[in-house]
Amino acid sequence: DDEVHVRQKVPEVDPREEANFEQELRAVMQESMDQRRQELRGRPTLNMMIPMNLFEGSTRDHHGRGAGGESGDEGLDEDAGGSKEVQVKVLVKRGNKQQTKKMYIPRDCTLLQSTKQKEAAELEE
Amino acid sequence: GDDDNYEFGKGNFTEHACRYCGVSNPACVVRCNVPSCRKWFCNSRGNTSGSHIVNHLVRAKHKEVCLHKDSPLGETILECYNCGCRNVFLLGFISAKTESVVVLLCREPCLSVNALKDMNWDLSQWCPLIDDRCFLQWLVKIPSEQEQLRARQISAQQINKIEELWKTNPDASLEDLEKPGVDDEPQPVALKYEDAYQYQNVFAPLIKLEADYDKMMKESQSKDNVTVRWDIGLNKKRIAYFVFPKEDNELRLVPGDELRLRYSGDAAHPAWHSVGHVIKLTAQEEVALELRASQGVPVDVVHGFSVDFVWKSTSFDRMQGAMKTFAVDETSVSGYIYHHLLGHEVEVQMVRNTLPRRFGAPGLPELNASQVFAVKSVLQKPISLIQGPPGTGKTVTSAAIVYHMAKQGQGQVLVCAPSNVAVDQLAEKISATGLKVVRLCAKSREAVSSPVEHLTLHYQVRHLDTSERSELHKLQQLKDEQGELSSSDEKKYKALKRATEREISQSADVICCTCVGAGDPRLSNFRFRQVLIDESTQATEPECLIPLVLGAKQAVLVGDHCQLGPVIMCKKAARAGLAQSLFERLVLLGVKPIRLQVQYRMHPSLSEFPSNSFYEGTLQNGVTINERQSTGIDFPWPVPNRPMFFYVQMGQEEISASGTSYLNRTEAANVEKIVTTFLRSGVVPSQIGVITPYEGQRAYIVNYMSRNGALRQQLYKEIEVASVDSFQGREKDYIILSCVRSNEHQGIGFLNDPRRLNVALTRARYGIVILGNPKVLSKQPLWNSLLTHYKEHECLVEGPLNNLKQSMIQFQKPKKIYN
Ligand SMILES: [Zn+2]
Ligand SMILES: [Zn+2]
Ligand SMILES: [Zn+2]
Repeated sequence: DDEVHVRQKVPEVDPREEANFEQELRAVMQESMDQRRQELRGRPTLNMMIPMNLFEGSTRDHHGRGAGGESGDEGLDEDAGGSKEVQVKVLVKRGNKQQTKKMYIPRDCTLLQSTKQKEAAELEE
Repeated sequence: GDDDNYEFGKGNFTEHACRYCGVSNPACVVRCNVPSCRKWFCNSRGNTSGSHIVNHLVRAKHKEVCLHKDSPLGETILECYNCGCRNVFLLGFISAKTESVVVLLCREPCLSVNALKDMNWDLSQWCPLIDDRCFLQWLVKIPSEQEQLRARQISAQQINKIEELWKTNPDASLEDLEKPGVDDEPQPVALKYEDAYQYQNVFAPLIKLEADYDKMMKESQSKDNVTVRWDIGLNKKRIAYFVFPKEDNELRLVPGDELRLRYSGDAAHPAWHSVGHVIKLTAQEEVALELRASQGVPVDVVHGFSVDFVWKSTSFDRMQGAMKTFAVDETSVSGYIYHHLLGHEVEVQMVRNTLPRRFGAPGLPELNASQVFAVKSVLQKPISLIQGPPGTGKTVTSAAIVYHMAKQGQGQVLVCAPSNVAVDQLAEKISATGLKVVRLCAKSREAVSSPVEHLTLHYQVRHLDTSERSELHKLQQLKDEQGELSSSDEKKYKALKRATEREISQSADVICCTCVGAGDPRLSNFRFRQVLIDESTQATEPECLIPLVLGAKQAVLVGDHCQLGPVIMCKKAARAGLAQSLFERLVLLGVKPIRLQVQYRMHPSLSEFPSNSFYEGTLQNGVTINERQSTGIDFPWPVPNRPMFFYVQMGQEEISASGTSYLNRTEAANVEKIVTTFLRSGVVPSQIGVITPYEGQRAYIVNYMSRNGALRQQLYKEIEVASVDSFQGREKDYIILSCVRSNEHQGIGFLNDPRRLNVALTRARYGIVILGNPKVLSKQPLWNSLLTHYKEHECLVEGPLNNLKQSMIQFQKPKKIYN
């Protein structure tokens, strides 16, 4: 019940500061890329260990915690008119162990392009 | 006591708060994973072009981060799923072609590993972790608008500066950037503040200055060759009585102060010292000190003691703590109050409450129209100011407000004032309405007698009789008799006492304490949505903040900015604006105080000038001339029915013996004559107050009257002679004001402050006599108009008291317009 409306000035970003920051950001990116290229002269190896059940359509989550775990295990939200968000599983490594964590990402995220296409294709069938 | 261990701001500081802006929502922050850094930053842009975390990583050239344990992914270092690369500038998400599964993958080289394409992964839609100079918002949330509004408003320049500073001092805080050098003038107070951190940056150094000054002054107050008279109190503790000579300095002992009594030893006695609390100050300026330890006291020795002041930082610590809480704890006050106090433009908000049918309260006098209006308005607003000119019944009005607040069922109401006297008065009135009141006193003041003792927490703990408490009482009795308990009993006693204190406090409708008392650890787990602060114009801002940061959603500040403000000893801090109260700043920000308009104290002739000069003529009289007629008192008022006169004095001022104050012998002699005339005509000593702004004159008058008074010495001893400041908030039937200053070229010092003059003129109920030199005083515009007022009413007089004649003395032109 602590709703408060503050008339604030829109923060103005100094264009010089912005340009300066952009420059530094690019420098860090470039430096990072160069560094990697030097570090890994040889061919990178493939080390993508995927948990067995991940692509088996199993939606059961063995690692109970995560965002909105209680809101159900529906995977992609089929209700187009409803939530603007989609639940995904994020695969992470803890040392040598793999874990999946549930998370919500916006439906229009480019990351989901191919999944959406697949959905569309399925719908057409 | 327990107060000593109090650490301010303890428990409020969250380790994972953004080091730039203070946002601490776990979903919005990440930790820089560079071992030498490990600082937390949020994902909001604030006033900069990149988010705080991205700003930090770029400026510090740090490249690894870890998510918060309470974030959706839990405590996770972000790294490439394939190669373990942790450089966030290279990382991005990819998703599986067919399933809603995503992983982090580095751009170089893993994204170009051909074998991956053959698997389930869609590499065409690699989604960088840092996009638009911000972390992906669905991974690290952007703090809400509200959260950002209450955060520190850090600028790009400040970010660059603090990043520079961190290179040499990784633990530096933003406050270190702002810290003024030792010899710098402190930053002055402002009208508006960007955020609570800026507020803290301004006030914290001022409080520190004042604290340092206070400490230095008090610790230099040691006195030697003190003679002691011994006694034993009802609680069987040793009490030392002695005179603590007050020279002309600013130190005034008050009950609750801590002093150390020392004896250097002699052939028969070893060296000894003990600390005690002042429990009483007698009219003869004798101090009663209750000693903490009863063992080994050299009670057969009388002469040769030394006394030191024991300075305590408690009150200053609590102010600093309140400012910190205000900044870092977003539940400390409501959003509305937060922004309002900082001077942000907030849309007007009304409190949704059903109003009572009548605004008075049981046990209180009927309210007048302006008082009803005040109660009604206050109940509907989240912040309000009530201005109570002298004698307008602000205590009754405050009590009525508190009564109705308590009846709204929003939890306990907190009632504070800067002074103990004011808190006691208010507690008494509120208790009269039938509400359950607990008066919380500082531990050091528990032995100080109080007119509302039955309401105090320590009294209630001792006297509330139930079977569960019998054990506590047994232990208490044992402690009183033996002076101390075995360590296991002491433990049990303390636990029982704490539980009982909590229980009693929790069952109260209203808690009353001083502003500083609101920072008492015994209240640290209490929340108060509704807070009323009386005499708030006599408190500094940080002092007022202490009761507010316990969860205030509705705040009422009562006071009068036309009377004296808080006393600031350190000139540097006062110059920077520490003497301006929160009430005054809110007035400057455009909050209109609700003014109580009917005064019930002064004879209508006495209220006329103050009303016109300080209150735009709005002060109405709730008392008639008849009600203020001093029947049977034969006093030579120049105009009958106008019990006032300005008595022209031409005697010279002198510098007092101490060299730091002034006195005026002629005025003192005439004060004695006036007092004697009053006493002869049937007025009793307690009805008379003599006000003088100078300690030199005060001491001289007291001395002069008791030596030269025409009547019994005792009568004069009972008359209160004091400074304007110590009369604030009180009244007397008759007031004699001795102005002292009388010189050709110097100023009039203390009398220059219009607020001090207002207080001096508004203490009397039946009559006032002012003694001063019109030639000198008339140079000041306000005094000039006061003198003109007296002259026009034929009350400017000279000559012997039994033959007063109107004075024809010419005034000087006032120097400049009084603003
Ligand atoms: Zn870092
Ligand atoms: Zn931040
Ligand atoms: Zn990689």
